[in-house]
Amino acid sequence: MTAATLSLAPVEQEVTSTDEVVAPDVPWVTIVWNDPVNLMTYVTWVFETYFGYARPKAEKLMMDVHVKGRAVVSNGPRESMERDAEALQGYGLWATFEKDS
Amino acid sequence: MARAFLREQDCYVGLLESTERTVLHGLMQQTRLLLSPEIEPTGDAFDDLVASMGVSLSAADQRADDADDAEGTAAEADSASLADRDPALDRLLPTAHRGDDQIAAEFRRLTEEGLRQRKSGNLDVALACIDEAVGNRVVLDESQAPAFLMALTDVRLLLGERMGMRTEEDAEALHAAMDDIDDDDPLGYAMAWYDFLTWLQETLTQALMGTDLREVVAAYDDDLDDDLDDTPDDDGPPPGGRV
Repeated sequence: MTAATLSLAPVEQEVTSTDEVVAPDVPWVTIVWNDPVNLMTYVTWVFETYFGYARPKAEKLMMDVHVKGRAVVSNGPRESMERDAEALQGYGLWATFEKDS
Repeated sequence: MARAFLREQDCYVGLLESTERTVLHGLMQQTRLLLSPEIEPTGDAFDDLVASMGVSLSAADQRADDADDAEGTAAEADSASLADRDPALDRLLPTAHRGDDQIAAEFRRLTEEGLRQRKSGNLDVALACIDEAVGNRVVLDESQAPAFLMALTDVRLLLGERMGMRTEEDAEALHAAMDDIDDDDPLGYAMAWYDFLTWLQETLTQALMGTDLREVVAAYDDDLDDDLDDTPDDDGPPPGGRV
């Protein structure tokens, strides 16, 4: 699925361009928020199915959402994070994207 | 009594009685109605793709009750409809950026029609599966099962929102209130169906994954003290093993 094009490695490329208002390489993140409706198993299934994450990683992220209230589930350029947020909303998860702080 | 979704060779089979199928069908139809895209899926992949980008190929694709057909009014219609739209839609199509309304509005403009189409498409698949049940057997193939799962999610999101279930505390309070609720209270009726759908979705998810939730929770508790480490515990069955 999308696993091949997604990397969780931080973007280390130096931004030298000055003619961009928004630096294109500043990583953004996709966040999934806890909600009382979505099932723990289902959320794990979504992380496996959409991201192609292995079961342990998908379960860890699911438990972070459940226990801590939110979890960063992917990071990268803004366009990718918008695509992830849209896809996860399609699954019914409460997904947002924002610039990593 | 309903029976859980179980894997049978290449498909997933759940047993739902007539009343259960009727209620589920009705709830899915209501969710479908709320999510109705401006441009209904045509069945043609290319037309649907173009439509999902907010462009209509054909006037015939427009719903009769949609008065706004000029593209120029789309932006105004957006802001007007956001203000007075059903709060349940905010749960099914939530804000994608917290803190920047402009980014959120732009994202919504670009994605909402496509999301409505995909969610509606899932509900159409699920409705057809219920319609095609032979006896009590609802049979889902490998491609129908995920659509059915997502459709169940959207139905539960809508039902949950209608019952005021927006936080974990709401959910606990609602379940606690069920102990001394009147038999004829519609909230109790809604809650009973919500719990039924929760159970049904859980069984289908587990059938798709072959997972046991208790192992997941126990493994996480064990890992809390450890550093972020994705390797599974040495003891115990490997995660993902069939239960």
